[in-house]
Amino acid sequence: MPSVAPMFRPQSTVMLSRVAHSLYWMSRYIERAENIARLLEVNLQFLLDFQGIDDDSVKDHWGSIIASSGGGELFAQHYDVADSRSATSFLAFDLRNPSSILSCVYAARENARMVRDQISLEMWETINELYLFLKARNAAVVWAAGANEFFERIKQHSHLFQGLTDSTFSRSEGWEFIQFGKFLERADKTTRILDVKYHILLPNADDVGGALDTAQWQAVLRSASALEAYRRFYVREILSWKAAEFLIFSDTFPRSLHYCVAQVNDLLRRILGETGARPRSEAARISRRLFADLESRSIPDVLKQGLHEFLMEVQNALDRIGDEVVQTTMFYPVDTASDDHQQLQQQQQQQQ
Amino acid sequence: MLLRVVHRTTFVYSGPVRDSFNEVRLRPVDDDRQRCNRFDLRVTPLRAEPRDYEDYYGNRVYYFDVPESHEELVIETDSEVQTLANLDRPSIPLIPTGPNAKPPALELHAEYLAESHYVPLAFELWREVQDVFAATPRSDLWSDAVALGNHVYKTFAYRPNTTGVNTIATDALKQRMGVCQDFAHVMLGLCRQAGIAARYVSGYFFNDLRRPDEIEASHAWVEVLIPEFGWVGYDPTHARIADERYVKIAAGRDYSDIRPISGTYRGAPTRDLRVEVSVREITPATS
Amino acid sequence: MSILSSTYEAGDFFDEMVGDDGQVRPHYRRLTERLATLPEAEFAQRRAAVDLAFLSRGVTFTVYGDNEGTERIFPFDLIPRIIPNTEWKGIEAGLAQRITALNLFLHDIYHEQKILADKVVPASLVLGAKNFRREFMNFNVPKGIYVHICGTDLIRDRDGRYLVLEDNLRCPSGASYMIENRAAMRRAFPNLFQSYRVRQVEGYADALLKSLLYLAPSRRDSHPNVVLLTPGVYNSAYFEHCFLARQMGIPIVEGRDLFVRDNRVYMRTTAGPVQVDVIYRRIDDDFLDPSVFRPDSMLGVPGLVNAYREGRVALANAIGTGVADDKVIYAYVPKIIKYYLDQEPLLPNVNTYLASEASDRKFILENISKLVVKSANEAGGYGMLIGPSATKDECDKFRAMVAANPRNFIAQDPISLSRSPTWCEGQLEGRHIDLRPYILYGEKIVVTPGGLTRVALRKGSLVVNSSQGGGSKDTWVLQGNE
Repeated sequence: MPSVAPMFRPQSTVMLSRVAHSLYWMSRYIERAENIARLLEVNLQFLLDFQGIDDDSVKDHWGSIIASSGGGELFAQHYDVADSRSATSFLAFDLRNPSSILSCVYAARENARMVRDQISLEMWETINELYLFLKARNAAVVWAAGANEFFERIKQHSHLFQGLTDSTFSRSEGWEFIQFGKFLERADKTTRILDVKYHILLPNADDVGGALDTAQWQAVLRSASALEAYRRFYVREILSWKAAEFLIFSDTFPRSLHYCVAQVNDLLRRILGETGARPRSEAARISRRLFADLESRSIPDVLKQGLHEFLMEVQNALDRIGDEVVQTTMFYPVDTASDDHQQLQQQQQQQQ
Repeated sequence: MLLRVVHRTTFVYSGPVRDSFNEVRLRPVDDDRQRCNRFDLRVTPLRAEPRDYEDYYGNRVYYFDVPESHEELVIETDSEVQTLANLDRPSIPLIPTGPNAKPPALELHAEYLAESHYVPLAFELWREVQDVFAATPRSDLWSDAVALGNHVYKTFAYRPNTTGVNTIATDALKQRMGVCQDFAHVMLGLCRQAGIAARYVSGYFFNDLRRPDEIEASHAWVEVLIPEFGWVGYDPTHARIADERYVKIAAGRDYSDIRPISGTYRGAPTRDLRVEVSVREITPATS
Repeated sequence: MSILSSTYEAGDFFDEMVGDDGQVRPHYRRLTERLATLPEAEFAQRRAAVDLAFLSRGVTFTVYGDNEGTERIFPFDLIPRIIPNTEWKGIEAGLAQRITALNLFLHDIYHEQKILADKVVPASLVLGAKNFRREFMNFNVPKGIYVHICGTDLIRDRDGRYLVLEDNLRCPSGASYMIENRAAMRRAFPNLFQSYRVRQVEGYADALLKSLLYLAPSRRDSHPNVVLLTPGVYNSAYFEHCFLARQMGIPIVEGRDLFVRDNRVYMRTTAGPVQVDVIYRRIDDDFLDPSVFRPDSMLGVPGLVNAYREGRVALANAIGTGVADDKVIYAYVPKIIKYYLDQEPLLPNVNTYLASEASDRKFILENISKLVVKSANEAGGYGMLIGPSATKDECDKFRAMVAANPRNFIAQDPISLSRSPTWCEGQLEGRHIDLRPYILYGEKIVVTPGGLTRVALRKGSLVVNSSQGGGSKDTWVLQGNE
C-alpha cells in the first residue's frame, strides 16, 4: 500500500484583520459573560445573607450594579422595579441588553463561528456547548433549579475555554489578540466592580466598618474572585481601603488593574510592534501612561482624587486603547468612514 | 456637420464618500455616419488617468476609481464630432414584411429581439403592435418600424419628472408619458414584439431651433436593424429619422447596457446631481 | 452473522457489484470476501466511529430553509464504490476531452463566435443565456483558460455505460468530501487498503494549488499570494472552503477582507495591506463586484473587475463560464467536441430534448410524465420534475412552465442510474448512485482518480443531492483491474 504523504506547508504568516477582530471580540465577550455571572451570583448571595434589608435598599443595591454595567437607562425602559428577579432577567437573559450574559455568549459564539477554521475544535465546542446550555434556559427555570449551579456552569465554561485556549491555540499573532481582549475586558470589569461600591449608598455613617459595610466589601472582593487572595495577602479583617488597594494595585493577583494593565501594555508592544523606548502609537502612549500611573501611585492618592473619578479615568483610558488598536490593526487610515456604510449607486436618467 | 459637445455631470454628496468605482460610456462612436475627431474626459478629483476598453456592443468604456474621501465628483467630457447628412448615405432598402413575406434571418442578432431588463416582452406591447398594424398594414421593415415609432410619438406625452431612471417600458406604456428614455424603451418593445431587431442608442441632439433659455440634456433614440444594410436610427420623441444633428455615444439592448455613468461608492447619499450639456455647431468662423 | 447476506438483489438495474450472471464482479471480490467475515456488530461499531469522526471534525453542510442554518453531516456509506483501472482510463480521457472542448468553446463565444456563425450552436441560445457575460467579450483570460476547476456528473445506464449528466463549470463543490471520505475509510478498514491497490485522492489540494499558482500574474517583488474567497460562514459549503484553504495553506477571505487600489487587489491584514494575485473564488459572477454586476451584493469587492481586466489579479474560475454549463448548451456539447476537436465524444450525453426546438417541445409537452424535465439554470436538484414519479398536478405545472418559457427547459429520458450495495437498516441493499470526478486545468489537465460518489439513500429514489436525502461513498479507483 502506498503511504499517504502528509502535506506540510508553512502556515501563512499573514493575519487577516477580520480574523484578529473576531478573535479579540470572542475573547472579550467570554470574559465579560464570566464577570457578569460572578457579579450576579455574588450579589444574589449577598442579599440572601441580609434578609432584613428593606425593598428600597434592595432597589438601590441592584440599581447601582446595573448602573455600573452601563445599562441603567435601558433597564429603566423595560423594567419597573429593580429587584433580584428583574436584575437577573436583565443581566443574564435579556437579549435587548447587549451586555447580558446571553448576549455576550451569543456574540462570542458568532465571532468564534467567523473564525472557526482558526480556533481549535475544543475551543469551538466549549463555546458552542455554553451557547446551547443558555439557549435552553430562562430566568424562571434558573430560579426554580437554583441559581448557583447556573452561574457555576458559566464560570466553568469560561475557565475551560481559557484553559483550552492556553493548551490548544498556537502562540501566534492570534494568541496575542485573544489575550489582549481578555485582559482589556478584565481590567474594565474590575473597575466596574469597584465602582459598584461607590454607588451603594450607606444608610448612615455609623455603618462604615460595620457588618453591612464589611459584607459589601466582601462581596466586591468575591465579585472579582479576590477574597481568598486578599486574605492570604493581608490575613486580617476586611478594610475598605485595603480591598480597593488590593484590586487596584496588586502586582500578582491576575484580576487586579495593575496586573491586567501590565499585560495589556506588554501585548501592545507585540501587536503594534512598539519596541522602541518612545511609543509611536496613541494606544501605546495611553497604555504606558496608565501603567506608569498604576506603578507610581498609591491608595491615598486615589482616595484623595476620589475613587469614582479615578475609576472613570481608567475606564476611559482602556476604551481608548481598545479603539485605537482596532483602528490601527483592523482598518487603515483610508477607511476613515465606517465600513458599514452601504454601497450606493450613481446613475442618471436620459431626458430631453 | 461639425459639432462640439460638452457634458458635465456633478454629484454633490451630503457628506464624505469614498471607494467610488465608476464606468463611463460617453465617448462618441465612430461609425458610417459620424466620426469623433477629439474626445477629452476630465474627472475631479482624480488620482490616476481613466482606463478604457471596448464593450460587447463596441462602445468605448472608461473606468476609474476615487478611493479617497471626497464630497463632490465632477465628470466632464468635451468632444468634437463630424456627422454625415442622410442625403450623403445610401437609401434604405425595402424589405417586404407583408403577409407572405419570409421573415429575415436574424439568428446572430437574437438579443435585439429577446426581452431585456427594461423591455419585457409583455402582452400589452404585443396588443399595441396589433393595433398599429390593423390601422397601417405591414409593408416593409423600415416603414413598419417608422409606423411603430410614430405611434409612440402620437400617443405619448413628453413629460419630464413623471418617470425615473428605473422605469421600464411596460410602466411607461401604462401612463403614456415620460421622457426620451421611456419613448425609446416602448418603441423597442413594439419593434421586438413585431419581430424587428432594434436597439437603444444614447447620445446628444443638436437643437438648431433652441431658445436661449432652453435646457439641453443627453438624448436617447432607437436603431432598427435592416438586414444586409445596417442599423438605422429613428427618434420616437421627435418622430424623425436620426440625421446629422444626432451624435451617438453608445448602443445596447436597453438603457442598462449603455448607462452613461454607473458606479458605486461608500458613504453619504447624493444630495444633488447636476447635468450640463451643450451641443454647438462649429462653423468655419468659430473654429 | 456477517453483513453480507445471500439476500442481496441486483434487481433490474446495472449493479456495480453483481453482474447479470449473478456473480460478483472481479473487482468487488476481495471486498465481498472481507465483508463475509465481518460480524454485523463490528461493522456497526466502525460505522458509529466514522459518523462520530465526521461530526467532531466538523465535516458538515448547511441546510437552507431554516434561519439558524442547521449544520448536518453528509451521510456516509461504508461500502466503497470500486472502479477498475481500465474503466477509469476511459472516463479520464473522456473528461479531459470534454474540458478541452468546453474551454475552446468559451474562448470562441467570447471572441470570434465562429461556432455561432457556422450555426453549430444556435446563436440565440448563447446570446440569450442568463450567464453569458457580455462584459467580458474580447477579454483575454489569464493563460487562456476559462474553467480551471470542473466537476462533471456521470451516471451509468442499464448497460453500465458512463453518460454525462451535467457539467459544473462555475464553483463545483464536493472535493473536500472526496478527501474526507477517503480518510474515514482508511480509519475504518485499514487492512482492505493493503489488499486493494487504491489510487490516492489526497493529491487534489496540491494539484489545485499548482493550477492556481500557474495563473498568477508575474510580479517582481514577491511570491504570488493565492486566497480563497468565500461568501462567509453561512454558506452551505463553508466547511469545504475552510478545508481546501487549510489544505492548500492559503488564507480564506470574505469580500470585506479585500479592497482595490490602483487596480490591484489587497487583503486587509493586521500588518497592513497585502497584495493578492490569484483568487479561488467560491462566489458566483453576479456577486463578485457590485460596481459592475449586482449593486446590492454585499459579498463582493468593488473594483475587482477592473483589477481583473487589467490583468493584476486572476480569478478561478474565470468570469462567464456559466454560459457553458447551462443545461440547454449541455445538449450541444457532443457537437461542440466534434466542432473544435474533430473527435467523437468519448463520454456520451444523456438523450436530451430541447424545449426551445419546436418538435422537441411538442414531444416534451405530450410525454412529460415519462421524462425528466430540468430548468436550464438551477442546480442541486431544484427546479426539476421526474415525470414517472410525479403527480398529475406537478406534471401540469411543469407543462405550463415549459410552454411559457421554452428556452429555460430541457427534458431527458429517465435513466435508471446504476446501483451500488449500500448499508440500509441492517442489511445491504442496492441504491442508485452517480459520480462527480474533479478535473483541474492548469499547465496540464489533471483528473483526480476517484471523485464523489453520491448515493440516493431513499429506496427507489434517483435524487442523489445532499439537500434531498442523498449521501456519499468513497470512490476507489484501482491501480489494476481487481
